[in-house]
Amino acid sequence: MTSPNGLICFTNCLLPQEDGNLIEQDLWIDERRGIVLDSQKTFFLRKIRPDRVVDLGGNILSPGFMDIQLNGGYGFDFSVYDDDEAYMQGLKMVAERIIETGVTSLVPTVITQEKSLYPKLLSLLKPFQTEKSAALLGWHAEGPFIEHAKRGIHADSFLLSAPSGTKSFEAVYGSNNLIHQEDWVMGNEHVVGVRIITAAPEKEGVMEAIGDLTKRGVILSIGHSTASTEEATNAMRHGAKLITHLFNAMPQLHHRDPSIIGLLGASPHISPFIDPTDADSSPALSATSGTVEEHMSMLDGSTPPMTPISTRAPSVSSTSSRKSRKALHLDKGQVADMEFERPFYGIIVDGVHCHPNSVRLAYSSLPEKCILVTDAQRILDPHLKDGVYEWRDGQRYVKEGDKLYLEGTDTLAGTVVTLDKCVRNLSRFTGCSLGEAIKCATYNPAKCLGIENRKGTLRPGADADLVVLDRQGRVLSTWVKGKLAHTTESS
Amino acid sequence: MRLIIRHDPNAVGSYIADYICKRINDFAPTPEKPFVLGLPTGSSPIPTYKALVKLVKDKRLSFKNVVTFNMDEYVGLPHDHPQSYHTFMFREFFSHVDIPPSQVNILNGNAEDLIAECNAYEKKIKEYGGIELFLGGIGEDGHIAFNEPGSSLASRTRIKTLAYDTILANARFFDNDVAAVPRMALTVGVATVLDSREVVVVVTGLRKALALSKAIEEGVNHLWTLSALQLHPWALIVVDEDATSELHVKTVKYFKSIEFVQDEVERTQHELKLRGATN
Repeated sequence: MTSPNGLICFTNCLLPQEDGNLIEQDLWIDERRGIVLDSQKTFFLRKIRPDRVVDLGGNILSPGFMDIQLNGGYGFDFSVYDDDEAYMQGLKMVAERIIETGVTSLVPTVITQEKSLYPKLLSLLKPFQTEKSAALLGWHAEGPFIEHAKRGIHADSFLLSAPSGTKSFEAVYGSNNLIHQEDWVMGNEHVVGVRIITAAPEKEGVMEAIGDLTKRGVILSIGHSTASTEEATNAMRHGAKLITHLFNAMPQLHHRDPSIIGLLGASPHISPFIDPTDADSSPALSATSGTVEEHMSMLDGSTPPMTPISTRAPSVSSTSSRKSRKALHLDKGQVADMEFERPFYGIIVDGVHCHPNSVRLAYSSLPEKCILVTDAQRILDPHLKDGVYEWRDGQRYVKEGDKLYLEGTDTLAGTVVTLDKCVRNLSRFTGCSLGEAIKCATYNPAKCLGIENRKGTLRPGADADLVVLDRQGRVLSTWVKGKLAHTTESS
Repeated sequence: MRLIIRHDPNAVGSYIADYICKRINDFAPTPEKPFVLGLPTGSSPIPTYKALVKLVKDKRLSFKNVVTFNMDEYVGLPHDHPQSYHTFMFREFFSHVDIPPSQVNILNGNAEDLIAECNAYEKKIKEYGGIELFLGGIGEDGHIAFNEPGSSLASRTRIKTLAYDTILANARFFDNDVAAVPRMALTVGVATVLDSREVVVVVTGLRKALALSKAIEEGVNHLWTLSALQLHPWALIVVDEDATSELHVKTVKYFKSIEFVQDEVERTQHELKLRGATN
């Protein structure tokens, strides 16, 4: 059932806003171009209105969910390669089936592999989408530059350090897979696979590579790490933007050395804003002015949407050379400027990986940076029963509800939770509204990736990837590029 | 002139919506002979728009064969500015009803030649055979459309400078920044409104009470432009109790009594028409 003039009006629905509000409003889309329309402009300037009206019966019409950490699903593991055809088939199958969970875009995540496998594997993980599938946005490499002590289920023998900095990253991932910034600038998005690298900044050579990778449009995520507070803070100064599955595979919050988790409360006292024009206040910066100029030239003209570049010194420097703020201020509600923005953080809200109290603690300290991730494994399948399942290398998983661990151990091995359930859980655990929880699976991850004009939003011009939820957050239907792609049975 | 008094703004809104619904359905508009409707913006007509939208959703009314002309628009404000009357009309009304966009007319306050824009608007109204029913609201100073106190009662569509009161009153829509309020608007004239075959005006709230009494209890006066309605052969003002606060008890009683008579006359006429149709 399509619309004669290609335009559809969704009415009688609540639209999640980028501020977490839910407002009663119509949404117009163009099903042929697969985008959200500026309805008022369409009416007054194009002088047309949708021929088809879809009454959503008071339900919620959300941007499709985005999962930036997903290891596989429906029996397919993004980290297992047999041959090209089987791999591409597997990608397609996951992309097509995952939409039943409301997910319309995802970043396939590859866990630590034997290093020779990366160049091949990552070259296959280019942006990809079919008519009725979620969009694969590229790849997220979790490892191998991670810390032994926090490796979780990652294979110890495959872990690496990066003695040559960026070159080590190129050597492992393949330099073709770590394209240069020009590709973003030129809009060659389809050739660009790299999105996120999870690495431990304390690992040899990683800190030195962060600035360079960030410039290339990579989101450097701190994870599987024992970084001290100073190391974690330095990673932020260099351009790290994200924390991988907060609370998991990192030191617990210690009040005297809050480490990675402490970045959620990164203090303006420790990391004050440094005015580059004020030489007196930035001794660290003046020593590295050459680097800054280079950065400014990168910023000249239009900043590519994918590459938020830190304009401040990415060089190695120690906290001791920095000064805290000179003066207190008198504006209630304002927080003093910081040297960097506090990081986004992926968080697994399955009720297992983080206690609800911990979820609320993180969410209330930094709601606008909260990103729901499933970290789901290949046995993710909402239709699957509890039991023991094959993984790989002779290891087996035990699935118990949303819990998943290695057989014979109590090591958590990712999850089988679906993202729509994480949204409902976040609302339950923190007491936030459903609209605010939806934001953590739509706008926040899109903002982190710098694609909030196209994904995770209902702005005019955005992809018409939509999920219809009832007022309790259950998925009723999913729309991909303006077309109905999934309807939940007997809803 | 008829004056209908209802309890509150919502009751006023549903009365007018039902009235317009009946008028359009009795008219039985077709693509060749559309119903031409004049429309206002502002807070007073919002309950009317809500009630009209409900009638359309309930399938008791359609705007498929209705052509609309809006009263006014600011000069120099982009169409998609949150305070433009384009935005208001789309948000409150046009997006919710089945009117084809090609049948919607709003003055273009960004036209290069504003005078030509106004003249073309008058011409277009004439080409449609004039306005069948003009719905309007009033300001606290009794202005109809942007015909501020002192406007000629014979005025046509034109550029108008906003009165200081109006600019101050509208500043609340522009972050209380008086400097951000447009100084000019394009508006239909008093005579444009009076030319329509029927005028319906909504007046609600205590703050409009003085304007209402000036407009209907005193003489025709260009300082209260709504008073020009006294010269119109078929005008209806619908008000809430608050808006009657400055009227004489005698005035209120008189208009209440004619509402009953009006109903009876309409009923009789309707029966006569039915009998005529069957004969």
